[in-house]
Amino acid sequence: MSPSAALGSPIFLTYLALAVALIVLGGIALLVLKLAGRNVDHAWNSYRGWLIMIPLVFGAIFLGREATIVFFTLLAIFGAKEFARATGLYRDWTMMGVVYLSIIACGIFTLLPAMNGAPGDYGMFMAWPVYAISAILAVPIVRNRSKGQLQILALAILVFIYIGWMFGHVAFLTNTDHPYAYLLYLLFAVELNDVAAFVCGRLFGRHPLRTNISPKKTWEGALGAVGFSLLLPWILYFSLPEFTPFERVLVGLIVGVGGQFGDLAISVVKRDVEVKDMGALLVGHGGILDRIDSLIFAGPLFFHMSRYFHGL
Amino acid sequence: MTPDSWNYETAADLDLTLSERLKHFPREPDMLVYGTRLLSGALLRTWLCLYHRLAIRGREHIPAGKACVLVANHASHLDTVCLLSALPISRLHRAFPAAAKDYFFESMPRAVLASIVVNALPFNRETNIRQSLALCQRLLETPGNALILFPEGTRSASAELGEFKPGIGLLLAGADTPVVPCYLSGAHAALPKGKIVPRPRKIELTIGTPRSYAHRKRGKDSALEISADLRAAIESLRDSTG
Repeated sequence: MSPSAALGSPIFLTYLALAVALIVLGGIALLVLKLAGRNVDHAWNSYRGWLIMIPLVFGAIFLGREATIVFFTLLAIFGAKEFARATGLYRDWTMMGVVYLSIIACGIFTLLPAMNGAPGDYGMFMAWPVYAISAILAVPIVRNRSKGQLQILALAILVFIYIGWMFGHVAFLTNTDHPYAYLLYLLFAVELNDVAAFVCGRLFGRHPLRTNISPKKTWEGALGAVGFSLLLPWILYFSLPEFTPFERVLVGLIVGVGGQFGDLAISVVKRDVEVKDMGALLVGHGGILDRIDSLIFAGPLFFHMSRYFHGL
Repeated sequence: MTPDSWNYETAADLDLTLSERLKHFPREPDMLVYGTRLLSGALLRTWLCLYHRLAIRGREHIPAGKACVLVANHASHLDTVCLLSALPISRLHRAFPAAAKDYFFESMPRAVLASIVVNALPFNRETNIRQSLALCQRLLETPGNALILFPEGTRSASAELGEFKPGIGLLLAGADTPVVPCYLSGAHAALPKGKIVPRPRKIELTIGTPRSYAHRKRGKDSALEISADLRAAIESLRDSTG
């Protein structure tokens, strides 16, 4: 991955063209709705957010492997910070220091070559939770504390494993043989799955999906999104040509079902903590975690599926 | 079985955007902000020491481990950083200079400086003065907090000491909070109102002995008396240093 490789990659250029087309189409659709007298303020905020995020993501991937890994590691760090601010874990700076360092270590193992020279130290990356959890458990012992520590330990381990390590798998996709194809497919599929769920829910939504977690989501939206995600590997055939039909179905389920589980998993946290969004970084999108929630769940599943069938 | 609920202490500014968070007070402790503040604090101290040859007399008068108020004459933006430098750097995040909300918290660059570098308390000097004073009072309930106030209410255009506003008296009457009068000289010559680039003038900070107005009754009259008393104390510091 490098700027010249990106410009020479038909896959990268196709996704770039797709992104530009979606931005333009979205803009036109919003304009038409506005001219038709519909209230599009909320959608407009969300659209403006995409105008910032899409160039950032493409910029990082265009610059190359290192920039992409740094970008996703920063997302993980600030995502972890949001989670910690919402749950109150961020008040424990020592524990947060250990969590941040563990997440940075994930980024370093993604970046550095392995002993055999392969890009990214897969062995250390996969083994890292052992070291990180040991370090997290050592914190209250070193400080000779017990009161309230179970909550801090549980939150710290959850933050590291879920937002640091599992999400870190997305960055590790840069070390595969098809970084542009896998990474951009995953990002597109997950975000379009979100959009499909939203649109299907708005158009056909009747039966609530999970009343105690996210009352606005419906079965119709969820099933519509799964249907769309099952089709997508065939629509974007150029990206995953080596995948068999069975693998395409798996990819569709991972993105369609996994993506929505990721969304609901963060919603469970938000509901229990009683916050509406995890942050307010981008107007119309909430915090980082509100944006990447589906990716955190679907990313590592997609990574391990593609690794199982096609290697790194 | 559902175990007893955990107690989550969500950050109070969670749903605010980054720019709104700058204006939110009291601030949530943030690792990045504390790090930036410590670093810029160390740099500013070095700058004051080398470029302005800052001399601080009477540092021992500032009560340690107790909430206190520092009051000083105000003729320059440098005043605030000089007073912050008189406190141990470990107390930097517990020191709150009251800064005019209409000046420091309306424009973005100033709000960044005021909230991250200076840790300023947004003081509404036009309306709701009582509310701002209540905020000050709440800060002084935590031992170790230091409130930095300029009772003139604005930077004096000359080096002369202006009239003191009665707000400081309202805050201190009947409160068991030590108040430390401070006198700054040279800051006006180094960076007067309206100038941007500081000149290499020597700055001297004289810190007087703490006073207390715990025995005073709350009210307008005693507020005026306290303001006048503090002004006299700062004048006598000025005269004693020549």
